Parts: sequence; C-alpha cells; structure tokens
Amino acid sequence: MAAEGSSDSLSPLLQRLLGGVPLLAESPTHVLEVVGVLESYGEVLDAYSRNLIYQGEQQFLNPFPVFRFFNGDLNLGRLWRHLNHDRINFEYAEYCQKAMLWHGTGGLDAFLESERFAGICQQVVRLKQRHDPLLGLLSAVFPQFLPELIRSAATTHALGQFWRVMSDLFLDLARTHREGRITSIASIVEFVKMGLVAAAGLPIRYAVQLHGATVAILPEDAQLTFLMDVAVPYVEAVFLRGMPFLGTLSFNAQATQIPHDQGQFAYGALFADPLPTMGAGIPPSLLMQDMYRHLPPDLAAAYRSQGRGVVDIHVKICMSFQKAMFCVTNGAINGTMPHPLDDPDPRHQGANRDHCMGWLERLRQAQLTALPASGPETIRACHH
Amino acid sequence: MTASAPSILSLVLLAPLAGALGLALLPAGASPAGLRRLSLAVLTAQLLLMVAVLFRFDPTTGQMQLLEQAAWLGALGLDYRLGVDGLSLPLLLINGILSLVAVAISPLSTPRPRSYFALLLLISGAVNGAFLAQNLLLFFLFYELELIPLWLLIAVWGGARRAYAATKFLIFTAVSGVLILVGFLGLALATGSLDFSINPELSQQLGLGTQLLLMGALLVGFGIKIPLFPFHSWLPDAHTEAPTPISVLLAGVLLKLGTYGLLRFCLSLFPQAWALLSPGLAGWAAVSVLFGSLAAIAQTDMKRMVAYSSVGHMGYVLLAAAAATPVSLLGSLLQMLAHGLTSGLMFLLVGVIYQTTGTRDLTVLRGLLNPQRGLPLTGALMILAAMASAGIPGMAGFVAELMVFRGSLLTFPLATLLSMVGSGLTAVYFLLLVNRAFFGRLATEPGRTPPALLPLAGLVKQAPAVVLAAAVVLMGLWPQGLANLAVASTSALGQPASGPFASMNVASANQAATSNFLLEDVRHGG
Repeated sequence: MAAEGSSDSLSPLLQRLLGGVPLLAESPTHVLEVVGVLESYGEVLDAYSRNLIYQGEQQFLNPFPVFRFFNGDLNLGRLWRHLNHDRINFEYAEYCQKAMLWHGTGGLDAFLESERFAGICQQVVRLKQRHDPLLGLLSAVFPQFLPELIRSAATTHALGQFWRVMSDLFLDLARTHREGRITSIASIVEFVKMGLVAAAGLPIRYAVQLHGATVAILPEDAQLTFLMDVAVPYVEAVFLRGMPFLGTLSFNAQATQIPHDQGQFAYGALFADPLPTMGAGIPPSLLMQDMYRHLPPDLAAAYRSQGRGVVDIHVKICMSFQKAMFCVTNGAINGTMPHPLDDPDPRHQGANRDHCMGWLERLRQAQLTALPASGPETIRACHH
Repeated sequence: MTASAPSILSLVLLAPLAGALGLALLPAGASPAGLRRLSLAVLTAQLLLMVAVLFRFDPTTGQMQLLEQAAWLGALGLDYRLGVDGLSLPLLLINGILSLVAVAISPLSTPRPRSYFALLLLISGAVNGAFLAQNLLLFFLFYELELIPLWLLIAVWGGARRAYAATKFLIFTAVSGVLILVGFLGLALATGSLDFSINPELSQQLGLGTQLLLMGALLVGFGIKIPLFPFHSWLPDAHTEAPTPISVLLAGVLLKLGTYGLLRFCLSLFPQAWALLSPGLAGWAAVSVLFGSLAAIAQTDMKRMVAYSSVGHMGYVLLAAAAATPVSLLGSLLQMLAHGLTSGLMFLLVGVIYQTTGTRDLTVLRGLLNPQRGLPLTGALMILAAMASAGIPGMAGFVAELMVFRGSLLTFPLATLLSMVGSGLTAVYFLLLVNRAFFGRLATEPGRTPPALLPLAGLVKQAPAVVLAAAVVLMGLWPQGLANLAVASTSALGQPASGPFASMNVASANQAATSNFLLEDVRHGG
C-alpha cells in the first residue's frame, strides 16, 4: 500500500517524462534562470576543466602540489589574487572529483579496479622507483599509495574531459538562446539531450609523460566513453549521492542517520537545501561564488530585483542551479531512454516506464519543490 | 550643598517631562516620523544633560552631590529635593541610554504615535525623578508616576492578552506602591520626622521591632517591583504582551527601581534590621535565582524566557545586598547595570525576531543565523548577549557576577554557591534558545514550499542593538569606569548612619581606604 501510495505521488512526474514534457515547469522565469545559470556554469566548468586536465597531466604524482591551481602560470600578481580570493574556487572541482572517486560507480571505476589498470600502475611505480626516491620509498612502505594516487589522477583527468564537453554544451546553449532558437524549458532539455547523445561515444583517454616515457593511464583500447563511463557516474556521485555537507545538518552516523549503503546516499546537488549556501564549510558555496562572478547581466539584474538583492544572491543562484540540474538530469533520462517515447510496442513502453520510474524513485527525496512554475513574484513572495 | 550647578538635575528631570507635555499638545495629525524625531531630540538632550552631570560629579566621595532643594508642599512633607550619588548616577545614565534606544526602535507604524511617544518620555522623566529624589514622598510620587504610562503602554499598545497583562501589572505594582507608602508613612510617624527626608540617623534610632516592621513593608513592596520569587508572576505576562521598546525599558530600567529601593531605603535606613534578616534574604535570593533559572529553562516563548532570566538575575542583586560587603554592594550595582544592558539588548533582539518571523516560539524558530536569508547580525548579537548574561569573561555580566559572588561568598557561602549554580543554568537556557532558534536549517514554509526569505532590517535600524552590544563589551572590558564612579557611594551604603543627607559633610577616611581596596579589586578581579 505504501509503495503504491508513494508511486502515486510521483505519477504526475512520470506522466511528464513519458509524455516528453520536461520535469521543470515551463515559465519565462525558468528559461531565464536555467539558461543564465548554465551559461555562468559553462564559464566556470571551462576553468575547472582546464585546471583538472592540467593537474592530471602536469601535476601527476606530485607529492606536494601546492601550486596546482595556477595552471603553471605562477607569478606574484597571480599569487596575490589567489590569496586575496580573487579567483575561481578550484577546490569545488576537487570536491566533485573526490565524490566520483569515493562513490566509484560505472565503467571508469570498473576499469580502475581491473587487472589491466593494476598493470599500468605497476609500470608507473617502476618508473617512479627508478627516478623518484621519495615516492619510491613511499611505494615500498605503502604499496597501495601510488595506485590510489593514480586512480585519483585518472578520475581528475576524466572529469576534466567530461566538463570540457559540458562547458561547451552550456555555452552553446546560451548562444543558441541569444539567437532565439531556445525559448522554452522543453527546448533546453532537448538541447542538452542532443548534446549528451552526440557526445555519448566520445572516447575518454588519459596519458602522461613520465621521465621521457609516455604512459597511457586510461588507454584508448579500454574503450571508456563519455556518457556511460564518466557522465553517468558523475551524475550518480554529484547529482544524486553526494556527501553529507559539513555545517548544514548534524548527522549521527552511529544512529544510522547516514545510510550504511553508499548507494542509498541522497546528499547530491538535486537534494541539497539551497538555504545554507555560503555557510562555512559547505562545498556548493564555492560553486555559487564562482558562478556569481560569471552571471550574465540579465540574470544578475533579475536577481538584484528580488528578495534581498545581492545579499542572498548565492541562495538564488543555488536555487536556479538546482532547476538547471533538473533539466540536465531530465536530458540524461531522456537520452538514456531504452526506446523512443512514441514507440507503440507495449513492451518497449513498459521498459521506458521502468526506466523513468527507476530515476524518479531516486529523486523521491530531491528538492522537487524547485520544479513548479515560479515567476519573480513567487520568489519575492517567499516572505515568512 | 553644591551651589555651582543649581539646576542641572532639575533640567534632567524636567526635559523629558516637558517633552512629554509638548508632544501631548501637538496637533493630532503630526507625522509619526516627526514625533519620533522630536522624542529622540528630547532624549538626546536629556542624555547630554546626564553626561554634563557626570562631568560635574565627584566620584571620590560617597556623598549626595549637586543637591537642589525647594519648598513645595511642606505641610505634607513633600519637598522638592534632588541629589545624585554614585548609586543613582549610573542608573540615571542607563535610563538615558535605554530611553533613547526605546524611542529609536519604536516603529513608525505604531498607532496613536503622539500619545505613545509622550508616554515614553513621561516614563523616562518619572524614572529620573525616582533616582534623583531625596525625599521619601517625592520618590514615591515618581515611583507611582511611572506606573500609569507603563500600564497604558501595555494596555493600549500591547499584544493579544494585553488587558490581562496590564491589569495584573497594575494590581501587583499598586500593592507594591501601597506597601512602600505604608513603610514611608510609618517611618515618618515612628521617627516623628514629618519632612520625609531620607535620614538614616533617625531611622536607626528606632527599635529593632519597628525597623523590622517598616523594612518588611518596604522589602515586600520593592520585592514585587524587582520582582523576586514569589511576587514575580506579573513580569513574564507584562513582558510577553508589552511592545518591544517597552520591554526594553521595563527590563533595563524599571525593574531597577526595585533594587535601587532595596539599597537606598531598606539597607541604608535600617542596617540593623537588614543585618538581622540578611541570612534569610540571601536564602530568598538563592531561591529566586534558582526558580528564575529553572523556569526560564522550561519556557518556549523567547520573551518569557528572557523575562524569567530577569527574575533569576535580580536575585543576584538581593544576594549581594544581603551580604552588604563593599565588594558585593559594588557588585550589586554593576549587576543592575549589566542586567539593564544585557536584558535590554535581548528584548530588543527578540523584538526584531518577532517582527521579522511573526513568532517567538522556540519550537518553531530554526536556523535564523543563516548568513544570507536569516538574521545573521541579530543572531550574532543574541549570542553575544547570551554570553554576557551567562557571565562569560570580557562582557558586562562577568564583572558583575564575579563581584557579587566574590563579595558574598564568605558571608553566605551556601546561598552564593546556589546562586552560582543559577549562573550555570543561565548558560543552559540561553544556549537552548540560541541553539533552537539560530542554529540548524532555516525553517521552510509548511509543506516544503519555497524556502523562507526573511525581510532584513538595514544596518541603520540595527544600530541601537549594536550600540547596546558595544556597551556590554565595553563594560566587560573596562569596568573600572563604572566602578570608579560608584565605589565610594556603594561602600557607604551599608555603613551605620551613612545616609546621604546625614553624612554629606563627612568624608570618611575609611571610605577612601575601602575605595582604594575595591578599585584594586576590580582591576585585578574584573
């Protein structure tokens, strides 16, 4: 009974998905918010992506990567801006990378745990033992130390490649919107879906130069691809599972307030409460700061006219970001649909239904209140 | 008598009263903003006059200063006699500050603003009069005078149960007034001195039984006003229903009339009776402290919690007064001032929260410290006020409580230790308040509709709270300023025949020595 009742609460969303209607309600404000926030997200992802790829290639197994956020361009002015916090928060990218590494799902993780990858690690370890006494010693004392660092570097580079594609996709979306070809949430979801489908088969590769030798950490013949091996694990780790954020709620792990099964985690971007944004120690605050720096003028003006203006702008960005991420998730659900929605075969329709229901069950506790239509007046009317 | 400044105390007294009269005579259509500006101007002038008094005041002597005297209704024994000493001057100043704050935080949407601001000024003037009065009947006149505007302010501008709260307040404080009047009349009859002057020399010559009887009446009268357990029940209701500015004044200034009366009249006029009853008074203080603290823990309404904390914290003043050592008496005054600033600040902040969220219910409020959509400054100041109230070093409460406990410990060890438990309990209930209302996640609307967005007051509007918080810290870091001002007078309080008028020509070497000792004490201990 409970299951039936709970399914009922999701049935409107199921009908939307099966009817090809976006999860996020259509409204001009939603279009402004989603396109604007994805444009700024695209700018930020561009910086994250460049840095992650730089870290993967140039900071590989660096035991003291103190200047890893400088992309090799270290000078006094840059250092001052960094210390003065006039910079992109690359820490957020690392946070996402660590979430992916820790949750470890999908094809990328399977490869990182494979015999083939263990062999690649051994190759790297041998090279390091020959040329780098410190890492050689560490490796001898802690044999799993270097393989773990290599796994981390591989995830870093793969995430960098994923975000490269997503950054271009979101900036293209903004450009298309400016050209008047994107006018609705449905067209945004379709644009994202087409982008994901187009990039689905892109290979994920990663090689490093190590003491004169080229070592393929993620070799081409591992056949890792963009969508299933990186994008889906990313969505699983960052959008859905996430990690309990410090400083928002107190979780008592001993009282099983945090599930034993990592697969049951629901702390991701789609679940997060936007209100504590900018609280100390909350990773999304970093992303919101970064997006604030790149907000398109029309969205920034809209935010300034609402609520507390600039004072709570990070919360508003976070709320819009959540809406945008629902659109991206919507695109991913549509893009991975087993059969076309207009397929008349009842078995295919059933498979589509199961596919959508599986996703919606995961989103049961998500911030679904972000989905209904909201105009500026709604945001403004949220007074206590 | 000081001839150089014959009228400054009268000016302090008359400025707000004249302001009140002026406001009352203004045409009915005057704008609320204009009325508030006018009130602020009057109270600023009053505060400046008080500062002028401060500059003329000589802190090295415990005598009454800047005395002014004029015949008024001599046949009734009601003479116009004003004076100020180290006990009344700090209280006068805190009245000046908190009256200004009360007017500054009064919303312009207040209905009937002309009457409202006039009554506020009237309270301020009446309190000045009570602190300055050097005639028993004159004190009583001002003591009663402040009741009427306060009653009206609660009854007309109060919350939903204002009629009940105002009536209860009126009944309790009327009984308090009657008892005080009985005490004063009895004193005049017993001493045969029908001029109602404050004359310890005469009162101390009375038999112990008479002293006990008269002091008992005054003790209960002032005990109701303070209020002490079990006469406290009017206070939480009055606070809950009173508008925020009135709560600020009530907690910060008006309750101090009771503790001032204890020191000025009960202790000064009847030191032998006081000494006899003091063990019982210390026990009463401990009970009041523990009751107030435990009752505060049980509250879910923020205003009631702060109100019960007042019952507890006023118990410290009684404890210190009961011990009547030089250190404890100075501590009792500092406790009055610290409580005035801290509870004034707390009521102000609770008012901001109520105005913003529409509730003071601790079972509903959550996450108000949210940096972007909550009330971060209010939350930060509330934490500061809670720390000050709990006696955390560096803030006003610490200095006051340390001196109260240190001064009383040897005289009444058990009562002091029990009161110290009350100090610990203060941390318990205020941490409960802070934890429930300010930490956690900001409450969302029922049904998880879009997250809350609280209207944020501008920095200018929050300036009064910031000023009070700064004063709390300043008093904590630099208690010597107030101690220097008051020490000579407070140490003279418990001395036999050291009444203000009787001893005004006696500059005791003893007092000076005690003062030096105490100042050293404050420097090292505070």
